[in-house]
Order: sequence, then structure tokens, then C-alpha cells
Amino acid sequence: MPDLAPRLALSALILSCLTIGGAYASAFWRIGASTFAPWGVAIGSAGALSAMMALGATRRGRLHRASAIAIILTFVIVAAGFGFALSQPAAEGAGGALLFGLPVRTAVIVYGVGLLPLLVLPLTYALTFDDQILSEEDLEQVRKVGAARVVEP
Amino acid sequence: MIPDQGTMAAAPAPTHPAIIAIAVLYFVIVGAIAVWATRRTRNASDFFVAGQGIGIVALAIAAMAATLSGFAFIGGPGLVYQAGTGAVFLVLSASITSTMGAWVLAKRMRLLGEARGLITVPDAIGARYRSRVAQGLAATAILVAVVGYMATNFLALGLVLNAMFHTGLALGIWFAMLVTLSYTVTGGILAGIYTDLFEGLVKTTASVSVFYFVLKAGGGMEGISRSIMAVDDAFLGPWGKMSAMQALSLFFVFGLGSLGQPHIAHKFYMLKEPRRLKWYPLLMSIAMTLTLLLYVGVGLAMRALVAKGSIPPLGRPDDATPSFVLGFTPSLVAGVVFAGVIAAGMSTVNSFMNIGAAAITHDLPRAFGWRVQNELRWGRIWTLALALAAVIVAQLSSTLVAFLGIFGYGLFASTLVPALAIGLNWPGATRAGAIASIATGLVLTLALETLAYFKVFALPTGVTVSGLALLLSLLVFFAVSWLTRARAASEIDDDILLVLSV
Repeated sequence: MPDLAPRLALSALILSCLTIGGAYASAFWRIGASTFAPWGVAIGSAGALSAMMALGATRRGRLHRASAIAIILTFVIVAAGFGFALSQPAAEGAGGALLFGLPVRTAVIVYGVGLLPLLVLPLTYALTFDDQILSEEDLEQVRKVGAARVVEP
Repeated sequence: MIPDQGTMAAAPAPTHPAIIAIAVLYFVIVGAIAVWATRRTRNASDFFVAGQGIGIVALAIAAMAATLSGFAFIGGPGLVYQAGTGAVFLVLSASITSTMGAWVLAKRMRLLGEARGLITVPDAIGARYRSRVAQGLAATAILVAVVGYMATNFLALGLVLNAMFHTGLALGIWFAMLVTLSYTVTGGILAGIYTDLFEGLVKTTASVSVFYFVLKAGGGMEGISRSIMAVDDAFLGPWGKMSAMQALSLFFVFGLGSLGQPHIAHKFYMLKEPRRLKWYPLLMSIAMTLTLLLYVGVGLAMRALVAKGSIPPLGRPDDATPSFVLGFTPSLVAGVVFAGVIAAGMSTVNSFMNIGAAAITHDLPRAFGWRVQNELRWGRIWTLALALAAVIVAQLSSTLVAFLGIFGYGLFASTLVPALAIGLNWPGATRAGAIASIATGLVLTLALETLAYFKVFALPTGVTVSGLALLLSLLVFFAVSWLTRARAASEIDDDILLVLSV
């Protein structure tokens, strides 16, 4: 189906915004965030950023497989990281377990959400650049249009 | 959470000769770059987009330097010291935003420069929707935000210069303005980019050096964590002293909102060879991550040192970085850090001066159908006027500065993310959708921030004005574009459609 990738990305972006909107609305109704609200912002934020990346990475209606995998992986890392922190009981007092020098829930967020995407996204972008982001031919095509515009009054 | 005033320590003054010498050397190098750039600035294109002649390393480091203002070195570590790991959520999305920005904005902005010779962010919006109203509204939003941002940074620079050279706050503010202005008004963005490159390298060096001493002073990450956890079981929790909702809202606003920052998006026009963008996310991500080590590390280390009783509680959270570098690093490193703090403020101010002057000289006249003759000369004049306005605001009232400084990021996000970031990737977006979303972001941010600041109205815990405004402007953008979807195809020129499709 043509344009399936941008349609899916756009739908995911709108759905993510509505999820965050639902979380915010619940905070208004209850005069304070409900139990659902942080989950809504967590999943919605992960979805919004991933959907925006997918929308930007889509080219001529298609999303390259490597880009799709990297973006889905990022969504899973971010959503799972926040979900883990939200679902696990607090254990950050004296004697609490540490992971790479930080309390476990915090380590999952700092190292997982804050660092893991760095290992995936920039390299995927570089590896797919020539074929899927901007080829010499694309650039030449745009330059020709620009040059024609300058020549025309 | 705020320490008792009676037991607090004042931040020591950075008056060691080595620190002063490094700061002076920093100003000399910036001056030399300004002289070099001034000789190469001959027209408006040189002044506003560096004649599209910037390399990818300079672009990535300059974008990082402009992204991380003085807040990353002073306010940020202070916030970590005060609010714990919750403050990390402001920068947590940095692992994603560089690549997201490249996918969503970098290529399209650069190709718009290629196809149309555009030089500003409102230019891109105006061309995308063939709308002078959208261009004018975007320029208005930028203008409102830049004066506040500049005033905040001038105030911070004045405080640092006063502490180092005992200039007095007022003179410190004026000196910071004059130095930044001198290279911005003469060398334009060309001077800005190369001073940003130099300043970015200073910041990164400072951050990595300080992080080494953070680990040394705190006994490694485990030592820091154990010290804090012994006295406070919430500080190192995943949300720190914030609620989960507050912290996650910061992630949303600073993540998605990064696509609406005009001083970053504007830089994509300047790249000499568009295909070098291939390495932009990698370079930018590495630079951001290294430079943010100081942001995260210093606040945690200072809290751990206080918890262990090694130092008394800080007088103000913002004293975290000055106190740490003066107490726990050699003078040479402290000198580089203070130069880094000055660099951080100046590089951000320079970017805002440039886009603010472009908004007045280039975008607003076009929105009214006028053309300014000699944009270079008027660009310089308006740069001067904006700098004077910001200095006056910075000196008039710290309350006003705080108020203006609060909403800059959120205002950019709510007004520019839908129309610019989504609009450049979705041909179905319409002119009406763009105008409605920019207006929604502008009105909501100004109204709600004003009401919240004067305590007339308070949002529920965890719901921020910037988050709400961004969300509503996005939803308005989608809804109005959908309602007016029949016009979408007729509102895009062929060359713009080509840029959207490649």
C-alpha cells in the first residue's frame, strides 16, 4: 500500500499525543495525577519521539528496514525503561542494590533511556544515509530546481 | 530540600591568577575569531547563514554549544543538587534528539536553502505553506522568546564576570553584552559559528575534566550513590525529588520540543555540503553526551559531599559548579570551567542575537510584503538594538528576567514543532493548520505562563505549561489540517513538494 509508512507514523504520533492528553486530562479531573497519568506520559512520550523519527525517516512513502528496526527498538527501550521504573517498588534507601553505581531503577533510565539509543540511532542514520536519506541524485535534482528558479524571473 | 541559611556555605570567588589568565586568554581568542570573521562577512547571506560554507564538524559542535547554554553548567547542576535525578530528565532525551533532528529537520532545511536560498526558520515556514501570515507569526514568537533568553544569559554572564573580575553586576552584564555584540554585529553568524566551535570544545574539555574529578571526589559512582542513599531515599530514585509525572513531562517537552528550537534548525542552512549530514547525529551525540557529564555529575557529587559531611550545604543550588571546581579541581581545570561557563552563555546569546535580528530585518518585513534594502546593514543595527533591549531587561528586574527566561524553550516548542517539524515531513499539513497551531502555542504559552507566574492559576502537579501548550498546538495542527485537507495539495509549490519527498 503506498504511503503506508508515513500514515502509520502520523497515526502513531496522533495516538501518542492523545495518550499524553488523556494523562494530562486525568490530572485535571482528579486535581493531581492519577495512577494512569505517568504511564500515559511515559508511553506517549516514547511513542511521540519514535513516531516523529519514523515520519522524518520515511522517504517516498517507504521506511527503510534498518531505520524501522532502530526506531522500534528505541521505542521499546524508552517505554520499557520508564515502565520498569514505574512498576518496580522504590528501593533507593541505604543498602539498596546498585547497578553500574546507581540504584537499579535509576540505572535503567540513565543508562537505558539516556545512553542505549546512542549506540543505535546515529549509526543507523549514517549507514542508511547514501541509499535512503540523501543520494547524490536527489541533491542534483533539488539543485537543478533551485537553479531554474534563480534563472526564471 | 533547601538547606538552612545558617549552615550554608557561600561559593568561593574564582580569583586565582590561573583562572583569570585562562578567562582573559579565552576573550583574546574570541576577539581574534571575530576579526577574522568580520573580514569574510560581505553580505546578508554571510551574516545570517555564513554563506552556506560551514563544515560538518563545525556545524555539529556549534549546534551543541548553542543548545547547551549557561544553564547546562550552572543552573542544571544546581537543579540536580536540588531535585536529584529528576533534573536529569531535562537532558535525558539527548540520546535521541540529535538523530531525530537530523531525520526530521536537517536534510529538509538544508535542501530548502538549496532550492530557494532561504536564510531563516520563518522563511521555511512561509515557503512551506506559501503564507506570509505563518512566517510573520513564527517570527513574532521567535522575537518574544529571544529577548528573554538573551536577558537570562546576560544576567548569568554578569554574575560570573563579577565573581571573577569584581566588576560589579551591572558592569559585568554590559561587558558580556559588548564582547558578544562585538563579534556578532561585525562577523555575524560566521563569527558566531567559529566562536561556537571554539566555545564548544572548551565546554566539552571542561565537562570531561570535571567529571574525572567528580568520580575522584565522590569515591566513584558507587561511593556517590551510597553516600546519598544513606541520608535520603528519594534523591536517587528514578524521578528524584519530582513526581514521576513531572519528570516524564520534562522528557516529552525537551525531547519533542528540541525540533522547535530555531537557533539549532537555522544552522542547518549553513552546511556547505548537504551530504556531509551523514555524520551530524554521531558527532552531535558524542559532543552532547560528553558535555552533559558535568551537568549530571557535579550536582550528584556535591550532594554526596554534603551528605558525608565533607562540606556544608550550599548557599544556593546554583553554587554547585563554582564550589565544586574551586574546591575539588586544580586551578587549570577551574579556569577552563569558568571559561566554559562564559562560553556557554555567549554562544547561546550569539545565536539568539542572530535569529532575532533576522526576524526583524528579514521575516517581519516580508510578512507585511516589504523588502528591506541592505539587509546586512539593518541586520547589524537590529542586532545592536536587541542586545541593548536584553541588557536593559537584565538590569531592570531579576523577576522579569526569570519570567522571560522560563518560557523561551516552551514557546519555541509549541509554536514551531507542528508547523516546521511536522509540516516539512507531511504534505497533508495545511496553511490554516500551521497558522492555528502557531497562534495556539503563542497565546497559550504567554497567557498560562503569566497566570502561573503571578500565581493566579496553577496547573495540576506534573502538568507543565510548556507541555500543555505543545500538546494542544499539536492537536490543533492535526485537527485544523484535517478539516481543511481539501486545500493541502494546492498550498504547496512543486519545488517544496520535491524537498518534502526526497
